[in-house]
Amino acid sequence: MLLFFGGLSAGQAGNEKLVFAPHWLPQAQFAGYYVARDQGFYAEAGLDVEIIHPSAAVNAIHFLEDGRADVISLFLVSALEALRNGLDLVNIAQISQHSAIMFVSMKDSGIETLEDFEGKKVGVWMSGFREVPESLMRSRGIEVEWVPILSTVNLFLLGGLDVMTVMWYNEYNQLYLTGIDRDEMNTFFLADYGFNIPEDGLYVLEHTLEERPEDLRAFVEATLRGWEYASANREYAVQLVVDLMRKNHVSSNRAHQRWMLNRVLETHCVQEKGIRVSQLYPDDFHHTVSIIESTRNVAFPVQYQDFFKPVLPGIRKPQ
Amino acid sequence: MIRKNSMSFRIITRVLLITISLFVVIMVGYYYYTSNIIKESTRENAIQLAGNLAGKIEQVLQPMEKIPQMVASTMALGLFDPDSLLPVLDAIIMNNPTVYGSAIAFEPDFFPDKGTHHMLYAHREGEGTQSMVIGGEDYNYFYMDWYQIPAMFQSPYWSEPYYDEGAGNILMATYSVPFYCRRQGELRFAGIATVDLELDWLSDLVNEARIFDTGYAFMLSANGMAVTHPDRAMIMNKSIFSNAEEWNAPDLREVGRDLLKGNSRFREYHIPGRDKLWIFYRTLESNQWAINVVFPDREMFASLHRMNILLIVFIFAGLVLLTLIISGVVNRLAAPLTHFAESARIIAEGNFDAKLPEVKTDDEMKELHNAFSHMQEELAEYVVNLKEATAAKEKIESELRIARDIQLAMIPHTFPPFPDLPQIDLYAMLKSAKEVGGDLYDFFVMDKDKFCFAIGDVSGKGVPASLFMAMTRTLLRNIADKESSPAFIMETLNKSLAFNNESNMFVTFFLGVLDLRSGKLSYANAGHNPPVLIRAEDGLTVFEPAKSIPLGLFEDFIYTEASVDLKPGDILFAYTDGVSEAENEQEELFNEDRMLEVIGAHKNSGPRELIGFMEAAIETHVQSFPQSDDITMMTIAYNG
Repeated sequence: MLLFFGGLSAGQAGNEKLVFAPHWLPQAQFAGYYVARDQGFYAEAGLDVEIIHPSAAVNAIHFLEDGRADVISLFLVSALEALRNGLDLVNIAQISQHSAIMFVSMKDSGIETLEDFEGKKVGVWMSGFREVPESLMRSRGIEVEWVPILSTVNLFLLGGLDVMTVMWYNEYNQLYLTGIDRDEMNTFFLADYGFNIPEDGLYVLEHTLEERPEDLRAFVEATLRGWEYASANREYAVQLVVDLMRKNHVSSNRAHQRWMLNRVLETHCVQEKGIRVSQLYPDDFHHTVSIIESTRNVAFPVQYQDFFKPVLPGIRKPQ
Repeated sequence: MIRKNSMSFRIITRVLLITISLFVVIMVGYYYYTSNIIKESTRENAIQLAGNLAGKIEQVLQPMEKIPQMVASTMALGLFDPDSLLPVLDAIIMNNPTVYGSAIAFEPDFFPDKGTHHMLYAHREGEGTQSMVIGGEDYNYFYMDWYQIPAMFQSPYWSEPYYDEGAGNILMATYSVPFYCRRQGELRFAGIATVDLELDWLSDLVNEARIFDTGYAFMLSANGMAVTHPDRAMIMNKSIFSNAEEWNAPDLREVGRDLLKGNSRFREYHIPGRDKLWIFYRTLESNQWAINVVFPDREMFASLHRMNILLIVFIFAGLVLLTLIISGVVNRLAAPLTHFAESARIIAEGNFDAKLPEVKTDDEMKELHNAFSHMQEELAEYVVNLKEATAAKEKIESELRIARDIQLAMIPHTFPPFPDLPQIDLYAMLKSAKEVGGDLYDFFVMDKDKFCFAIGDVSGKGVPASLFMAMTRTLLRNIADKESSPAFIMETLNKSLAFNNESNMFVTFFLGVLDLRSGKLSYANAGHNPPVLIRAEDGLTVFEPAKSIPLGLFEDFIYTEASVDLKPGDILFAYTDGVSEAENEQEELFNEDRMLEVIGAHKNSGPRELIGFMEAAIETHVQSFPQSDDITMMTIAYNG
């Protein structure tokens, strides 16, 4: 029941030290960073990148706050919430472009539409995941009993929940890997209901960006290289992730990590938005801000230019 | 060596075919029956093995379940100072070697002065224990499975196994029991009591199970995750479903789904690219974890396969032995047959004294021997008779040949017969159907102006006819020596032939006397085919049919004569019925009309040529059909 913090470092002398913390335990969701480090892309960029991991109970934001990490990855919603709560962070690159969040109900429960959620127990993870589902329900006037969950799907499996909030690339497949067939579940992608909010992005404190813009630019470039390499060499990337998970004593298997890598890469696709990889689409930003305003019932006067300060140029790709 | 078409080859192949078919049927039945027995006994072994394992595991788990239950009962008794319970937790750990930690966690704000979170926790630390009060934003236990799930269901809960980093990375599972405290007189849900159980012993226990060479047992959690496995890397990393996915083995996923439903079964499954496996699974009563026992199919049926190979070797050896025995017996029984065949060949070559094989048995072979020996005797006798008969026949044939020569010598056969008689040109032929025949012809000069000729056909054929013919010819010469009237010659000849003619033979006879100066032909016909006159000027004339009966029948018959004047160039064609009645295969006669056609077509030919044409026409008609009657033709051309 105790927690752990893993630290990984390429440890190359002479390079600029940079600590990066993804917002969850090691898994294929972060394959690009591990690949960039393993393939020496960071070192080539003149960086000595250490990767540390948070846990279910400790948010990556804490690492940023107390200076243990220079760069973290966060959901867009979580980052905006942190900003609203006074943390002086900025988005330097938006990696994910699509929402992977979804609801799942068992087919035999008879819950087939969002309206069927009325009065039902809906499991949701405690940090960073709540805002968008809650906003969707509020927008449709559906009252549900939100049940906070720390990290597992066991309560849902045991029938303690009617609906579970899951990630397409992670828990949805975990359910499948506990023996529930895909055709035994009803799925509700939030993106299908007008809530296609992008997720993983890279964040730093404002002063870090001012002090080390070149290091950060090099970091993002090398990271994107890492993702490209992972996409082209998926079995290698999956094995790298699984090995890392083993080393960190995180339960892992290739079947699940392969699924996760493939799905996560899908969320990186920028094609229909007409922007470059790593850019934050203004509409997505405004939509997310409005979600937070309506969830918190407060005005949130944040400007796109103040929040998104890309270290790579944001040239629109020709359509 | 056994020949392919020998009797023993046929017997052996048939016997072998039947025997092999029989063995195949028996083997298939035996294999099916025995493999079912093996399956059944393996299943029983598996049930027992899994049952033993389950018993041993339950022996550990069930007493552990009592601990938080006791804590819960104690909590319900009355309100303690919560922190005074820490030594109780220490005692629990010290007294239970498999318990790593124990906790009493209270509902939010249960003690308003102690904050939202309040949890008492003790765990093993070296030889002793470490106890503490924890909880807070960094350890928000309300949302952890071990608290949240039993709190929600208000019933005990076994957590999924997990690796505990703090405890030195050992596998553990937590058993949680909700407890209740009395507040304002009523029992209220107050929190969760737990024990953390070390599970390292579980692997040792389950891995101890020995199943054939490579079979093994393993345990799965209620989510299908590997709790124990001979391959340690599987534990808490892979589930039966992730393996099914990685190995592309839908069978395995089916097994997983079935066992998680709490079912117990013995069944086979396939992992692509690997040998077939059998698995037995059942769940523990305490926590629905599944005990699985895996049997490699190859090893399960190894003894059966060994037995099969042994059986096949024995059967093969048996078949070889059977072949040798049958071939020996059949060869011994059939051996005399070969000797009989040899004897038969020698007998066929004429050696009827050929030695027969000795037969000592009193069976079919003996009968064959007796039959052979009888055949030898009969054959010898038959051949002696045949030799005698052949000799007699040869003698007769030789005599007949002499008789034929004599007969042929009696009729003139030098042509042209009278080179110094320019008035006539003559040709004749006689072809007997047998060695000797009854046809005759004759011609001779009576004095210097008269020329006599005759043609006749004796009734019957062969030797009697030939004798009668010889008699007729001899009498004719004698009588014609003194007389020149055809009627008189006929009557005299008839008298002589009819006299003492007890065999009632007769002869048709045409007799002509030609005056060489005047061309007048006097003739008499005793029942003979009328000759054909080929007039140089007027074409063909057939003589009128005979009015008189053949010679030799009635002694006193009066014969008449007639005459016709021949002109130079006329030709007379006389014949016997062998010509007009020559038969072919279809029994069609050559007949007079055909004969006259041939004569008409060659009326300008000479006597020899005309007969030649006639012979050719007859041969064309008859083809190869054997001649049944004597054929005689005579042509006389009058040159004036």
